[in-house]
Amino acid sequence: MISRTIALAAAAGLLGTAAGAQDAYRIGLSGALTGPVAGSYAPAIEGLQLYINRLNDNGGINGHPVELIVLDDSGEPSRGATNSRRLLGQEDVVLMINASLSSTYAPMMADARRAGVPLLFASSACPAEVYPPAEPLLFCTTAFAARYDSQATLDFIEAQAGTDISLGLSAMAIPLSRGEIEAAEGLAAERGMRPQSPTIVPPPTADYTPFATTISQAGADWVYSWAPWVTEVRTFEALRRLGWEGDYIAWAHLEAEGELARLQDPKFYAIGANSLFAEDLPVHQEIRDAAEAAGATYAPDQMAEGWIAGLAIEAALQSAGWPADAEAVNAAMENLNVDTQGLRGGPIEWTAENHFRATQYYRVYRWNADEGDIDVVQDWAAYTVE
Amino acid sequence: MQLVANIIVLSAIYALISCGYVLIYRVSRVLNLAHGELMMVGAYLLLMTASFTSNPMVAIPVAAVLSLTMGALVYLLLMRRMTGESVLAAILTTIALGILLRGLIVIFFSAAHQYPAVPLGIHSSSVQVLPGARISSLSLILVVVTALVYASLFAFLRLSRWGLRMQAAGQNPLLAAQRGINLHAIYAMVWAISMFTGSVAGMLISLDAGLDQTLIMIGLKAFPAALVGGLDSLLGALIGSLIVAAAEVLLIQYVNPLLADVVPFLILIVMLVVRPWGLFGTREALDRV
Amino acid sequence: MSDLSPMRVVTALIAIAALIALPFLASGATLDIANQILLATIGAIALMLLTGFAGQISLGHAGLLAAGAFTAGILAQEIAAPFWIGIPAAALTGALLGVIFGLPSLRLRGIYLAVSTLALHFLVVYVGGEYETRRGFSTGILIDPPVVFGFEFWDPVAWYPVLLFVAVIVWLLARNLLRSRTGRAWAAIHDTEPVAAALGINVARTKLWAFVISSAITAMAGALFAYYRGFVSIEAFSLFVTIQYVAMIIIGGMGSLLGAVLGAAFVTVLPHAIEAASALLPSSGGLAGSIFAMNYAAFGLIMIAFLVFEPGGLVGILRRIGGKRGTR
Repeated sequence: MISRTIALAAAAGLLGTAAGAQDAYRIGLSGALTGPVAGSYAPAIEGLQLYINRLNDNGGINGHPVELIVLDDSGEPSRGATNSRRLLGQEDVVLMINASLSSTYAPMMADARRAGVPLLFASSACPAEVYPPAEPLLFCTTAFAARYDSQATLDFIEAQAGTDISLGLSAMAIPLSRGEIEAAEGLAAERGMRPQSPTIVPPPTADYTPFATTISQAGADWVYSWAPWVTEVRTFEALRRLGWEGDYIAWAHLEAEGELARLQDPKFYAIGANSLFAEDLPVHQEIRDAAEAAGATYAPDQMAEGWIAGLAIEAALQSAGWPADAEAVNAAMENLNVDTQGLRGGPIEWTAENHFRATQYYRVYRWNADEGDIDVVQDWAAYTVE
Repeated sequence: MQLVANIIVLSAIYALISCGYVLIYRVSRVLNLAHGELMMVGAYLLLMTASFTSNPMVAIPVAAVLSLTMGALVYLLLMRRMTGESVLAAILTTIALGILLRGLIVIFFSAAHQYPAVPLGIHSSSVQVLPGARISSLSLILVVVTALVYASLFAFLRLSRWGLRMQAAGQNPLLAAQRGINLHAIYAMVWAISMFTGSVAGMLISLDAGLDQTLIMIGLKAFPAALVGGLDSLLGALIGSLIVAAAEVLLIQYVNPLLADVVPFLILIVMLVVRPWGLFGTREALDRV
Repeated sequence: MSDLSPMRVVTALIAIAALIALPFLASGATLDIANQILLATIGAIALMLLTGFAGQISLGHAGLLAAGAFTAGILAQEIAAPFWIGIPAAALTGALLGVIFGLPSLRLRGIYLAVSTLALHFLVVYVGGEYETRRGFSTGILIDPPVVFGFEFWDPVAWYPVLLFVAVIVWLLARNLLRSRTGRAWAAIHDTEPVAAALGINVARTKLWAFVISSAITAMAGALFAYYRGFVSIEAFSLFVTIQYVAMIIIGGMGSLLGAVLGAAFVTVLPHAIEAASALLPSSGGLAGSIFAMNYAAFGLIMIAFLVFEPGGLVGILRRIGGKRGTR
């Protein structure tokens, strides 16, 4: 069954490119599909491919199919640079998408600016340039947001435990995570909390216990971690094995849903901007169906980021009309309202000044041991992005 | 006390991994830079057997036997053909093998983070080992396994007939071959043992922490430990692991966690300046190019 | 070397004609690959001099490329230095680092030398990473393209003649160097050091020279890379880059300058060739993840096949073909 679907899809794809090369919207993605960090990006890329395939099956946009060219950069900047030159120089795309490590941003951003082609960051961390005042051409749909995330997390901790707490902080030794956690240290101190100096873990680490020991021995009541999922969850597990019994809050990356069920710890909170599949909205069912029909490699509950990017791309191309060049797509993106269908707390709104979103929504989840499922501890809290 | 426990656990991890580098180098003078990948393959073998049976007493031994076989196959199908080629070509072959294995793993198992412990129903609990020191039960098992592996390796090399042949082959392959020792069988065996110990390390780490491609990097982090001790000495690998782990844990605790990443290499540079052949290595190893 | 058989002349003329015609025929993306080959050629010749001729194993190649790129990047960023300062400065940095990288070679050989250069690689990368983090360039340092008489070098078409010119110069330089006294001294220490010393060759100085020259060229290639790409980022100089360069000189054929060029071309083109080949396969309608994993695995497999079945490298194959035609 699966192989037949793939064969059909392949045939459709070949016909599609043969017939539609002239009258398709051409967009291109460079992302980490292999290499050590692929696990954080490949599911989202697959989600986006599924979305675009489904879109084409339903007749495309404005009567034209979307051709998504996917290139692998393994998370390496040199390959990202080669890919962006190929997408711009050979494939003539009207929109580029980055789904990779932040080290690939510099070459892709430089090429996008020069060619005047919009660049969308999807599932990769939003660069500073997309926040107001936004730089032209750069857009971002990714859930997590520097500063706002820590603000929302600290608000939640304060609501739960007040400010008379010792706060442990954990980050990974990559600039993004380090920067955010160091900022959180300052924000927590301003509120009157007692933040510890951040514990920064290098990426390949055999045993997290030595790092957890420093946090635990400093007497943390709460610990906040904003880092790739490995660091967040393994610091937590190491803390628990040391006998630490405090509360732990971490950013809900795409792995969060499966992991909350695996950990089953009532004091492990995940704060995030995406709704979890446990909620079973119609859009969640759509993603599950699409993943099943295509025999997808990754779990549907890890594909939300790709699907949201797909929604944004569809809205942008729709509003750009046909024929659409890069300039028209960029103009459309600068004035866009994307209905996230419940995958987020509200729509993604882009204006000329704000290429991130006008309002960012956060939810906090945790495992409910009595009922054996995931609880919403705090429903959507809105933060205006200025 | 917790610090002592942390140092012991971390050095056990490094020691269990680094003995694979040492065994192969000591016997066949090949530096196996695919050890991290082979270790990861071992862990994925466990993930595979765990999908057939939820009994860890079956899944783990089967995966271990499979990794033993695979190690021998790596030698017989690939590395055997590299005998007589330059050192650099042999190293590059192991690197190419590593690249191949990384790709194959993504094809068969995807790049997602997976937990072999879940289907096997293994839960790591917290154990009080010393007053004021707790470690996870899996870490405790890992320390015990490392001790067993090293004890049996020492016994095997010193006492058994095959072990002595292995020593002979390592010291003077030409003479050993003239004495009727089948070098290919020796080399195949050492690759098998090396992959076996690496795989056991990979399995235990992934039972505790889950499994994805980052396991390779952990494999590479154990490499400086082997070098500090001297690439051709098992005892050296053990002591080297202890030194690197102790420096790492103490720096994390008292100085700056960020240093943990560069420490092994700093120790290594100091070692290369003072005693280039490692703590317990033989000087003669330097001249073998 | 000096036999100018008609076969060789014809081959050389065809190669030169193809190199000149390329920018007029190829698309931007193809030319980008051609430029990458030229950059890799410069780096591979440098490593070939060190490893293939002087017999010194080094795993610090990516570190030296990084040092060159960062010298150019930091100078451009901090004092807005133009390329004609950046490139010589990079070469100078490379030469200095060459002395440091070379010092362990006076005591160490083989694997231990390889590892000490590897340790230095990590140090260079650590320093570069600290610079990036401290100065807040977490996504890499951007460098403006070089401007000569108002003409901006950004397009691959504009870069191609420049890189071709530099590569040819480096090749000629290497060839003459190998024919000089230094080159003969390298050959001597490559074979046996004690004999070389007995012949009156200053082994230590000869070794250091090899490191200095090789490192200076490598760092210059790193700076060119930075200007060509328009950015410098420490992640672009991972250990994998070193592996690629070692693969180039071995697959090309040890101890041959032509081997360095062929190896550079082969290793650079291989991933693109595999990608193009797998796009032709009927399974390309599937999801991208597994296709790219397949390409990755194929890269390893082809490298293994080469090492096992063609230990003489690409040059070995060429010689065999040449031998059959009786031109040797």
